[in-house]
Amino acid sequence: MIFKILKRDLLRKKIITIAVFIFIMLSAMLMASGTNMIINLLNSLDYIFEKASAPHFTQSHTGDFNQDIIDEWSTKNNLIKSRQTIEMINISGSNLYINSNLSEKHSIIDNGFVKQSKEFDYLLNLDNNIIKVTKGEIAVPIHYMQNKDLKIGDTIRIQNNNNEISFIITDFVRDVQMNPSIISSKRFVVNTTDFNTLKDNFGDSEYLISFQLKDINTLKEFRNQYSQSNLPQKGPTIDIQILRLMNSLTDGLIAAVIILISILLCVISLLCLRFIILLTLEEDYREIGVMKAIGISPSKIRNIYLSKYFILAITAAFTGYLLSLFVNSLFMDNIMLYIGKTPLSYFELLLPSAASFLIALIVILFSLFVLKRFKKVSAVEAIRMGSSGGIYSNNDKLALYKNKTINSNIFLGLRDVVLRFKTYIILFLVFILCTFIIIVPLNFLNTIQSPEFIKYMGVGKSDIILDLRNTQQMQKQFENIIAYLKNDPDVTKYAPYITGKYEIINQEGTAESLFVTTGNFDIFPIDYVNGKAPSEKNEMALSYLSANELEKNVGDSIVLIANGKKQNLILSGIYQDITNGGKTAKANINPDYDKAVWYNINFNVDSNIPDKVNEYNSTFDNIKVTDIEGYINQTVSNIIEQLQLLTITAILIAIFITILITLLFLKMLTAKDMSQIAVMKSIGIPLRDIKIQYITKALFILNLGIIVGTILSNTLGEGLLSLLLSVLGAKNIQFIINPLQAYILSPIFLILIVTVTTLLSINSIEDYNIEDINVE
Amino acid sequence: MNEILQANNLCKKYTVNNIEKEILKNVNLTINEGEFVSVMGPSGSGKSTLLYNISGMDKMSEGEVVFDGIQLNELSESKQSEIRLNKMGFVFQQNNLLKNLGIIDNIILSAYIAKNSPKEAINKKAEDLMKKTGIFDLAHNDITQVSGGQLQRTAICRALINDPIILFGDEPTGALNSKAASNIMDILHSINEEGTTIMLVTHDIKVASQSERVIFMLDGIIKGEYKLSKFDKNKNNIKKRESELSKWLLEMGF
Repeated sequence: MIFKILKRDLLRKKIITIAVFIFIMLSAMLMASGTNMIINLLNSLDYIFEKASAPHFTQSHTGDFNQDIIDEWSTKNNLIKSRQTIEMINISGSNLYINSNLSEKHSIIDNGFVKQSKEFDYLLNLDNNIIKVTKGEIAVPIHYMQNKDLKIGDTIRIQNNNNEISFIITDFVRDVQMNPSIISSKRFVVNTTDFNTLKDNFGDSEYLISFQLKDINTLKEFRNQYSQSNLPQKGPTIDIQILRLMNSLTDGLIAAVIILISILLCVISLLCLRFIILLTLEEDYREIGVMKAIGISPSKIRNIYLSKYFILAITAAFTGYLLSLFVNSLFMDNIMLYIGKTPLSYFELLLPSAASFLIALIVILFSLFVLKRFKKVSAVEAIRMGSSGGIYSNNDKLALYKNKTINSNIFLGLRDVVLRFKTYIILFLVFILCTFIIIVPLNFLNTIQSPEFIKYMGVGKSDIILDLRNTQQMQKQFENIIAYLKNDPDVTKYAPYITGKYEIINQEGTAESLFVTTGNFDIFPIDYVNGKAPSEKNEMALSYLSANELEKNVGDSIVLIANGKKQNLILSGIYQDITNGGKTAKANINPDYDKAVWYNINFNVDSNIPDKVNEYNSTFDNIKVTDIEGYINQTVSNIIEQLQLLTITAILIAIFITILITLLFLKMLTAKDMSQIAVMKSIGIPLRDIKIQYITKALFILNLGIIVGTILSNTLGEGLLSLLLSVLGAKNIQFIINPLQAYILSPIFLILIVTVTTLLSINSIEDYNIEDINVE
Repeated sequence: MNEILQANNLCKKYTVNNIEKEILKNVNLTINEGEFVSVMGPSGSGKSTLLYNISGMDKMSEGEVVFDGIQLNELSESKQSEIRLNKMGFVFQQNNLLKNLGIIDNIILSAYIAKNSPKEAINKKAEDLMKKTGIFDLAHNDITQVSGGQLQRTAICRALINDPIILFGDEPTGALNSKAASNIMDILHSINEEGTTIMLVTHDIKVASQSERVIFMLDGIIKGEYKLSKFDKNKNNIKKRESELSKWLLEMGF
């Protein structure tokens, strides 16, 4: 009897059982792959950092400096193990031709040319060996190899009006400092002779002043000592902690998304499982009652059913794990390319299998929980009635005879959903989920592409933004540009800003460096989370992350070291800024030109903006002039690109889940309603009318799901995103919603998918016949 | 009398496990307007299959059925549904009511779908039918709250809501006790007297003896038919009709 029950159960629910098997299998596969990816990422990072002998602290610097001062300071500093200064020639994109006749002038990447390091911070090849190049040879960053499909033997040409030099690619560079795709600087390796030629004929020099410490735990102390010294500081700093984070960010995020999808699939399989178990309970009500009546204990009856789900979960999870062994390479390609592979470890073998079996365990425990309902079956009622009776609830308030307005088929569809809502809960939750995973990325993409996004970048909204950095004699050029602006009749208003690296006294009383922008912040105002712009000479505004780190609130005083003197400033406001690691400040003080790292000018024009952008770009060298959208695009282009990919992936996943679950659910629902459908057909109710009832049910649930999903996206989704972006510096993201996309096109798209899927799924009702249920 | 339904050379075959089974073999049958006909035969003789095929509920393998002047087997499935909805009524052994609707909703559903009259008129008609069959007080009950006989009366009301030309009954009293069965038969007679043609499938001699023509089926063919006088409960001796029919059926091999 037990075997017969299980066999019949399996055969009757073939489709949904297979679907649950696939969901558990995919969930286990992704969980194993995600875990494998994280273990590999961490192992490989350790390996490459060791092989490359990664620096612990690096200060970038543009402009003149004295190496002797660094050497002297370093010799006296007992935290330092070794030091090194690397000279890097920045070649303008317009002079660089990578295996092509077209230059890189539209690229936002800063291309630096270096010699191989001597002490540490080695640039490695794809075998994680230190790169060696001879004259005429070049090693090119992996970024270009991947994006431009470069091969050994391809050429690189650098050319300006007077000179030209060509290289043959002999290797590709794995660079612990500049590997990650979110870092916009990349290093090429050339021979000493070629380096000197480049230095004499092309570009400006930038210096990477790097240190390795005796004890990595003294990093913070060292960072403070360096910032308080008189050593070169015209440029950003980076340390090993940030390097590890940057290197693991892209792959770490992918691993997190894979694990998230795995959890999502696991939840869907649990919902399907609940549906199967409840359906089984309904179908086998009499059998369960009989078993109880003849004295089989409820726990034994439960175990009969549990054994099926136990076997299902274990086999699906095991198959998933086996599959993960094949698909791992797919997810690991990026890690393998950018970071390299390490030898196998025990963890790599054990943890992914444990992770996939965790999925099986969750499924088994959940089945056990749902199967508790079997206890409630009354033996007497089951034998007498043959069904639990309560499946079809009725309500005279929603009686058909009271409905005077709505079409009867639509009314019956709506009525069924209201009265049997529990039956539809799986479909409802899936539709909410699908709406959420479409709307949130779509809204975020729309927000980040909107000109309004500038308010999360600590920059006022203007027609054009001019950016000047990494060049010699920046101040002189800056003054020239301002003079040009003053004489430009098209310019209606402008505001110059100078950003420099200043010291600020932190809560521990030690000095800490911070990018402080000086200028007039009333001309192009920004939004403040708290307070207002610094308008008085003794006021200062901090970015959200800076304020958090310094534990300062509006009204608190801050000590800033400017022009060699300590100044007491009042915190006037806190703003959101995701640029420069989210840690910036604004002050209305006199600028210290010696500390200036970059210059910006915001201006509005009453002429054609693109023409004006072109005019300034062609008039001045080494500046970046963009309109507001271009500025956002350049700054967050990586995020936009990844977000576009994520949005498309999310939409595809949502479509897949919507189709699959709608199909499965309606197949099950019509199978469950078989006798009802056959009766309706027998009394002459046309198939078209019955189909309208089922389409109404699906669309009613869908619309409820869309409404709840959209509300959740705009509240919970916005909140989640703000939480995620608060790490980068924007804690208060407000979606800029494109109503056409979010409220019209997305719902219509889902409605179309669900209608077509429903029609396809309920086709089988044509075969339902009253003879099949009227057994003589 | 006008012919209301005619089946010519009706065949029905099923294939189960690659074995073809012929359930109906060249059945020829005529039902006249206003007639009360019973089809009898042992289990598996094909009597229910005959009912499902001549009403268009099932697709015949060969032959033709003409109903109310229309060749039914030539029509599309939706047209056949339309005819079943508007011109035919059905009462089954297992009442086959919709479990998710109450008593009155089960009755009015097919009329609401057919849209031949305004909803108010349909509701009024349902109330009249319920009064006539004695279930008016149960109108707002759930179908799990009433007895088998009351459910069968609900099924009759449902069958009559669209004023069918013919009412088909597949063992309509099969699941009822003798008192409830007698009530159902009284209702069917009163409907017949009002002009609705009735065709019942039954293996109950008591039920069949109350019709005016009995068709006997065996192994998918019509073996013969027996004519009785028009039934009148007050005038006829039921016992006598039953013994008359029993004798004939015995001769037929029942």
